[in-house]
Amino acid sequence: MSTTTTERLDPTPPSAATPMLEVRDLVVRYGRGRKAAAAPAAVDRVSFSIAPGETVGLVGESGSGKSTIGKAILGLQKASGGSISFQGKDITAAGAAERRALGGELRAVFQDPNSSLNPRNTIGISLAEPLRLRRVSAAEARTKAEDMLERVGLPREAVDRYPSQFSGGQRQRISVARALICDPQLVVCDEAVSALDLSTQAQVLNLLADLRDERGLSYLFIAHDIAVVQFLAQRVVVLYRGQVMESGPAAAVTEDPKHPFTRALVAASPVPRPAEQAARREARESLGVRTGAAAVPAQGGCPFRLRCPLATDLCASDRPALRRVGSADVACHYA
Amino acid sequence: MIPTVAPTRADQTERTTAAAANARSAGKAAIAKFSRHRLLTSPGAVTGIVWLAALVIASLTAPLWLPFKTEDQDFTAVLSGPTAAHWLGTDELGRDILSRIFAAAAGTLGTSLLTVIVGVALGTVLAMLSAGAGERTEGAISRGTEIMMSLPGTVIILAVIGAVGTNIPVVMAILGILMSAGIYRVILGQAKSLQSQLYVDAAKVDGSSPLGISVRHVLPGLANTIVVQAALIFAVGMLIQAGLAFIGFGPPIPQPSWGGMIQGASQHVYDAPWMMVPTGAVLALTVLSANAIGNALGKAPNASAPHLPSAAARRQRAKAVAAIASAAPSDRSAKAHEAKGTLSVRNLSVGVDSAGPGKGVPLVTDVSFDVQPGTVLGLVGESGCGKTMTALSLLGLLPSGVSVTGGQILWNGKNLAATTDKDMEAVRGREIALISQEPMRALDPMFTVGYQLNATLRRLRGMGRAEARNEARNLLEKVGIVDAERILKTYPHQISGGMAQRVAIALALSGRPRLLVADEPTTALDVTVQAEILSLLRALVKDTGMSVVMVTHDLGVVADICDQVAVMYAGQVVENGRTEKILDNPRHPYTLALLAADPHANHAHAMPERLASISGQVPQPKDWPSGCRFAARCQFAGSACTDPVPLLPSGTGEGLVRCVKADQLAVEGMDWLATDVPASQVLGIAPKQATIIGKDLA
Amino acid sequence: MEVTMALFITKRLLMALATVLVVAVLAFLLVHAMPGSPGAVSLGAGASQDAIDQLNQQLGWNDPLFAQFFHWLGEAVQGNLGASLIDGRSISADLADRLPVTASLAAGATVLSAVLGIALGVTAAVRGGLLDQVIGGFVGLLVALPAFWVGVLFVYLFAVQSSVFPATGYVPFEVSPQDWALSLALPVITLAVGGAAFIARQTRASMLEALQQEHIRTLRATATPTWKILYVHALRYASLPIVAGIALQFIGLFGGSVIAEQLFAMPGLGQAVQTSVSTHDAPAVQGVVVIATVVVVAVNLVLELATKFLDPKLRAS
Repeated sequence: MSTTTTERLDPTPPSAATPMLEVRDLVVRYGRGRKAAAAPAAVDRVSFSIAPGETVGLVGESGSGKSTIGKAILGLQKASGGSISFQGKDITAAGAAERRALGGELRAVFQDPNSSLNPRNTIGISLAEPLRLRRVSAAEARTKAEDMLERVGLPREAVDRYPSQFSGGQRQRISVARALICDPQLVVCDEAVSALDLSTQAQVLNLLADLRDERGLSYLFIAHDIAVVQFLAQRVVVLYRGQVMESGPAAAVTEDPKHPFTRALVAASPVPRPAEQAARREARESLGVRTGAAAVPAQGGCPFRLRCPLATDLCASDRPALRRVGSADVACHYA
Repeated sequence: MIPTVAPTRADQTERTTAAAANARSAGKAAIAKFSRHRLLTSPGAVTGIVWLAALVIASLTAPLWLPFKTEDQDFTAVLSGPTAAHWLGTDELGRDILSRIFAAAAGTLGTSLLTVIVGVALGTVLAMLSAGAGERTEGAISRGTEIMMSLPGTVIILAVIGAVGTNIPVVMAILGILMSAGIYRVILGQAKSLQSQLYVDAAKVDGSSPLGISVRHVLPGLANTIVVQAALIFAVGMLIQAGLAFIGFGPPIPQPSWGGMIQGASQHVYDAPWMMVPTGAVLALTVLSANAIGNALGKAPNASAPHLPSAAARRQRAKAVAAIASAAPSDRSAKAHEAKGTLSVRNLSVGVDSAGPGKGVPLVTDVSFDVQPGTVLGLVGESGCGKTMTALSLLGLLPSGVSVTGGQILWNGKNLAATTDKDMEAVRGREIALISQEPMRALDPMFTVGYQLNATLRRLRGMGRAEARNEARNLLEKVGIVDAERILKTYPHQISGGMAQRVAIALALSGRPRLLVADEPTTALDVTVQAEILSLLRALVKDTGMSVVMVTHDLGVVADICDQVAVMYAGQVVENGRTEKILDNPRHPYTLALLAADPHANHAHAMPERLASISGQVPQPKDWPSGCRFAARCQFAGSACTDPVPLLPSGTGEGLVRCVKADQLAVEGMDWLATDVPASQVLGIAPKQATIIGKDLA
Repeated sequence: MEVTMALFITKRLLMALATVLVVAVLAFLLVHAMPGSPGAVSLGAGASQDAIDQLNQQLGWNDPLFAQFFHWLGEAVQGNLGASLIDGRSISADLADRLPVTASLAAGATVLSAVLGIALGVTAAVRGGLLDQVIGGFVGLLVALPAFWVGVLFVYLFAVQSSVFPATGYVPFEVSPQDWALSLALPVITLAVGGAAFIARQTRASMLEALQQEHIRTLRATATPTWKILYVHALRYASLPIVAGIALQFIGLFGGSVIAEQLFAMPGLGQAVQTSVSTHDAPAVQGVVVIATVVVVAVNLVLELATKFLDPKLRAS
């Protein structure tokens, strides 16, 4: 466990018992009609919750459904089943007006700094937009925008500039400022640093950590890079083909993974120390995980079974339920 | 009727919403921006605007200055050419052509504008509706417009004329409806791409209504396309209207119209051919003007460079290569002791060509490294450091507008930097091969994997049809594809990214190259696939003895596969040497900082509260200082760092480092500080940072 | 794969049928909005109101609209489009005579536009530099020139000044293939000028886009000869939008033939529309609109299927 955010938490949390966000048996299917119903769901009965002040990391490879979950929470993608509640309130099917009524407590930072700010609007206009929707006066919105820019390490004069005048890292900081301008409780970060170079990535990660400590924020941090998640998150949820494979404390999941997929994922992430990496490579090759390219998605059972060294007939017929192994919950019959 | 067709686009949306306090400076900025506008930099468009404006003013004020009334008949000068009295001549009734042209102008322009307004408004509204609403709405609207587009429009318009008569405004409005389908198609694509922008998602998260999003984010983004379409439709409308008048469906008889006048002239093509000229020229000029405005606005502002330059560009590059060849006479002595399969890059510089935009800016300067057979060299650094440019120069495949400006690329002793494109064909594929970042885009989408492999094998290895087919299957198996037969029959879009990268590697191996240039080959792949591809590359190096130049930004990838590494920063190599030495014991502050900023470098149980970070960002090529290029961001920079720094022996084996304080830092054992001070105090920001020019190139 | 292709073709055929039906309804309604009842048009000025009423009754003009439409549709499906109000001729027979004229004109102009346009566009994209600019300027000028004006110019140059081609008139193919070709030459060239310019622009843009694709670099990296990159790989990639452009052009040229037929006195469909509209010959207008739509939709369908066939992504899915 890295940071001890609970100690620096906002003095009056809504209620210790109510989670900030609770996702229950979420199912998302793309498309309509018979064909879509027959295809595997993009998100398949996923459940997790985020406590006030907690950062949960959502990790998985492309096609794991991690971004879809983020979109469903933000109302950008319709849920086909299950429920999402925010501070105890069901927001599964909330429309634009209801989202506005959330008072800006649920916000987002997206991946691509080039497309997350309207290039035709000044930074000031982009930052003021959520405030103006909540009927804040133009002058007040501008002052708030300037304060927020200063907070994320940009000059106040930046309000009158256009996104094209900033680098990728700076634009991502502006996106963070935009997300935080209405004092949210929960920020969904969807691959928020993956388009950035190492040095700027570290700047933005530090900024997110600083802001969390200052304001007692909760984050849902979605990323494909387990090391990045591990830096910020206290708990990690590992996804494969729309299903939760393993979830638990960040250190436990990344240092001592129990699920065969998590093991493969952690082992495949290379470290910049040649001797250690050589050892990790050998360990990875001895795991016996089959290549993903050959695995055809099949319905029913464990989605990882075609690549899994431990798979048996049971894995083809029964989808393993999450069960407690050590300090983590693992969806594997043999973990 | 004022031609609001083109120039008033400006930035009104930005201005009206801009904070009032700043209105004046925003206005000034808008004016400055406008003067650099595409419209005003195109001579054709400027001429077009002037012509249209003159035409409108002239036709609106016609009664005040025209020498004749449109119906005045001068029987002394029937069918006359240009004279002092009749500047553009007269028609068969002795009516003054100049007067009639200008009298007809206002009506022609005005009713064409009606087509534009109806067509563009309808097309835009439908497109925005389609893009914003669900799939079902879009499907219905698109079906409807497809039907409209496949109709013989002219015939329908004639049928309409049959019903409503030659009521030109009504006919032109219906023409607008018919044309809206085409406009819809053009605008829909853009509206959809705008709807998929993340800032639209952000606005949805804010709780903006769909209408609010359309008005605030989609419509302003469409403005330029709308104006372009308006200009082009305006031109088409004028042509159709004149065409209708030409076949007798113009305004009622005594009233002049351009089409009617040309029709009249066509009756006298035998005895008075001049009559054709003035009206035709005015009509053509007006259409040309509208088109010029549309084209100037519609020109893609930063189209990316072609991967195969035009013949003209290739001729220019050949000249540049010849210049390099003559500047650096081949060094016979160096040639002698170059072993087979050795790459030796010496003081390589790459820059933007002096003719194009961003002229003469260097992108890579003074880069040197060696690659021995059977080894892997990593070129590592952040984006904008020149690693990809360096890699592409090895194959002579730099993008158009960028070329090698100095230094040598010695391959088996031959200087590739001074080799013509024609001669490089003997090297590419057969001796040096390339794999790139996005395997899916690297394969031709129009041909099967089998065709691409077979054609390459037959070309590079001179194989027959059957032999090539066998070898293609062998190659696919060699790169770890189990069901090679099936993959051979697929098109690239039918396979996964990891599979496509394997195919791309097989393609690269088909000429049995001695050197593989791999440009971020695993960046677009999942980590588990990345690990597999790296293992494959390692096995290939071991089996074939080829060498690899691996471009990457990932220090973990370097640790995994590279024997040697060259760390690049702002177009220079700042440190090179054996991988273990550099990663375990970095000497250059930049390498030190990169490692400290990498979350992968830390174990979960020892994850620091804050990562070390480097303030600011990689400088743009045009802003490179003459001294150490990293000094502005370096925690250890001192006064000595303002002078140019050479590559110095780093004291660890054969490695080199470009830092005057390297020895001092090594002795003091300093670390790059992981600061937990508030970001605002650490982050140096370049407040005046201008638009990034070299971005597409770097 | 075959199943989806068949499904696709069926879908498109249904769409085409729907298009024709929509146009038939529209044409029917338009024709009914024409000034003057059919009796009045047929009998001309000076006919007694009684005679007009009687003829109208006979023609079914007083029946409910939908009954009239279905009656017309039933006849039309059997190939009978009714009789002209002016001269009583069978409209089907008249249009059958006229269709080959317009078809030769439109087909000839489309082929010529495609050949010239692709050649110019590819040259501009591939050669670049000054030649690109010259072609660009030339094409820009051609786009702006009205077809009828160009036609008159050609008449002046080739018929009045040098009499290489006949200025007007049409000779059927059966009469003399050579004269048929000569009589078509000027109108076809006239129509092709604008068409070629349009296709040249489309081709140039598509070729440039194709050359920006990353797979072109892969081809160069495997020593593919330049001609092959340009004319096999890039042109193949560019072919989709080019064929789509040609399909659009055919529709435009089919309409444009109205002007060419008028100018060169060709007895085609365009002339028929023009005359029947001028004389308020309602059934003739209706017939020609439907026939023109059928031809355009059919050709469009073929070209669209060709486009789909060219695209492996669509062919496979």
